[in-house]
Amino acid sequence: MSTTKSVIRTIKNVANGYSDVQVMVRKATSNDPTGPTTAQMADVANHTYENGEFLEVMDIIDRRLNDKGKNWRHIAKSLTLLDYLVRYGSEDVVAWAKNNIYIIKTLREFQANDVLNTDQGAIIRVKAKELTALLRDDERLKQERELARQKMTDRRTRRKN
Amino acid sequence: MLSFGGHSNLDIQTSLKKACTADSAAPKRKHVRACIVYTWDHKSSREFWHCLKLLPIQSNDTQIFKTLIVIHKVLQEGHPTCLIGGYKNINWLESLGRFSNNDTTAGHTKLIREYVFYLEQKLRFHHDHRGFNGMFEYEEYVSLRTVSDPNEGFESIMDLLSLQDSLDNLQRVIFSFIRHTSDISEYVISSLVPIIAESYGIYKFLISMLRALYRSSESDEVIAPLKDRFDAQHHRLFEFYADCSSIKIQCTAF
Repeated sequence: MSTTKSVIRTIKNVANGYSDVQVMVRKATSNDPTGPTTAQMADVANHTYENGEFLEVMDIIDRRLNDKGKNWRHIAKSLTLLDYLVRYGSEDVVAWAKNNIYIIKTLREFQANDVLNTDQGAIIRVKAKELTALLRDDERLKQERELARQKMTDRRTRRKN
Repeated sequence: MLSFGGHSNLDIQTSLKKACTADSAAPKRKHVRACIVYTWDHKSSREFWHCLKLLPIQSNDTQIFKTLIVIHKVLQEGHPTCLIGGYKNINWLESLGRFSNNDTTAGHTKLIREYVFYLEQKLRFHHDHRGFNGMFEYEEYVSLRTVSDPNEGFESIMDLLSLQDSLDNLQRVIFSFIRHTSDISEYVISSLVPIIAESYGIYKFLISMLRALYRSSESDEVIAPLKDRFDAQHHRLFEFYADCSSIKIQCTAF
């Protein structure tokens, strides 16, 4: 089941002409039950520093955020990824997110029930709420980004030693 | 600046059609959201109002009421131009209240009239006080401006209190409708959601404005009438929320 799905996804990636970065983002926000790993998110974050690739990344995230309720995992994972990018990605991501805050804001009332009629929208509502709060609070956002940068340099120096 | 996914005219038409169907379910969030996102993408609400007028809703009370919910939602969360566009279309909105036909139940007519009346009040308020957004989310500079000019501050608090009063009226009408009908329709309950959000927004605004006004003015007597009205509203709001929480339990029990 999951193998056929992943094969179909590879075909779709080629057929729709997605670039390597876009494939990466699609993979990180796919319908698999396991979340995007930190390594995946860090990869994407690095790519947001390239000007052309930044737009490609945001294009996919935008599409994923506006996905159907059935694909609530796409939305939840995109919010996780976007939250990471806002902290670790380039300054452009912050600008993009602030410009398009309405996309995130309107997700605060998201509703989706799965086959068993359990509420899967709650996780999205919470994530959207937290992300909007972060984007509105410039002071906190600055602190978080500072913290993130420190963490990254720590990790790099540790690797060198 | 950077907006993706070109939503065309056709998209909002279908979203509106799907949001304002004739069945008794609540307007689906995804369609309402599509309308809201559309107004932000295009930074204009012209298409929204235009498509709204083309909808064939006048023959059905349920549809009219659901459309009013959608309008309320879009006014709250949509692009600021929605409020301006709404003010321009205030006459059309008024006509909706007259359209409601008595064929189903008498309660419906009253619901629609009251909702239309409230939306008109809201649009007028936003026309007179441009600093506020649709949701009355707390913005620092508005309260700063009102403090610097106590007269203006007094007036806008008065207007806010009146708006809250008519919101309270609307809420009462909806609740009496819910109590008097045996089958509780989902869409009537769903209309409470934007009302709760809005009343809370207004409530928070009033608190911060009154506080600021207290600090700036010397005499308490001037503000005393405002305080009395606010206290009365506070109690009614509290009861309203209590009523709502009892309904939520009923909803999940179904």
